Amino acid sequence: MVHALKETHRVLREGGSFIDLRPATKNRLVELDVSGTRFHIGEIDSSATFADHWAADAALESLRDQGLIAPMHDAQFLVTTDLDSIEDLRAHATTLRRSVMAEELPDRIESLIAGEDQDILIRTRREMVITRYRCLKP
Amino acid sequence: MGIRSDTAGHEKKYLLDMLPSQCDRILEIGCGDGRLTWQCAEFADALVGIDVTPDTLAEAVRQRPQRFRETASILEASGVHLPFKSDSFDHALFSLSF
Repeated sequence: MVHALKETHRVLREGGSFIDLRPATKNRLVELDVSGTRFHIGEIDSSATFADHWAADAALESLRDQGLIAPMHDAQFLVTTDLDSIEDLRAHATTLRRSVMAEELPDRIESLIAGEDQDILIRTRREMVITRYRCLKP
Repeated sequence: MGIRSDTAGHEKKYLLDMLPSQCDRILEIGCGDGRLTWQCAEFADALVGIDVTPDTLAEAVRQRPQRFRETASILEASGVHLPFKSDSFDHALFSLSF
């Protein structure tokens, strides 16, 4: 990771910016939206990615310590994915790299919404972090 | 039936808030299928997206709007060995690359 960041620093001009956009080290939340009311149902396990994030944090800190980048702005926000059906949830889960949905979660949702005639939406929520650094060339 | 990601548009909003309203040259590392690439391209004089996964790169190229054919390109390359000269970009975006 340090190598990739140093390569990025090399190709950036002095005063340019480096933007780091990635998920927070938290699991995705799975919810049901029943006629506008949200119910927490479970999580999609993303813990297999956390070590990479911590390594990235350490690499960025190393560049900061060397005076190669300086933080400018940061923000956190939520990205939601709306899914119309259990099949959509299963299909969505297959696209998630290194994140695992518990096998029983779709069945649990299915049993919760069986027989309901209200508007029901399955929703995942993922916290994201974005940070902008200034490129310094001491 | 359907899957709708980021219906509130938060990812685009926060990313564009971090970029100047008009950029010179942007490098996106980990551009994937171009989901964010073409949004950033709206604000750049030139943009290069790189990724190491050929399948997603092909999708990024397929989704490239016609108006960006002259100003935006997609390359298969690793962030560890960037095939560019020093000091050649104004902004670099690491998007979900870690």
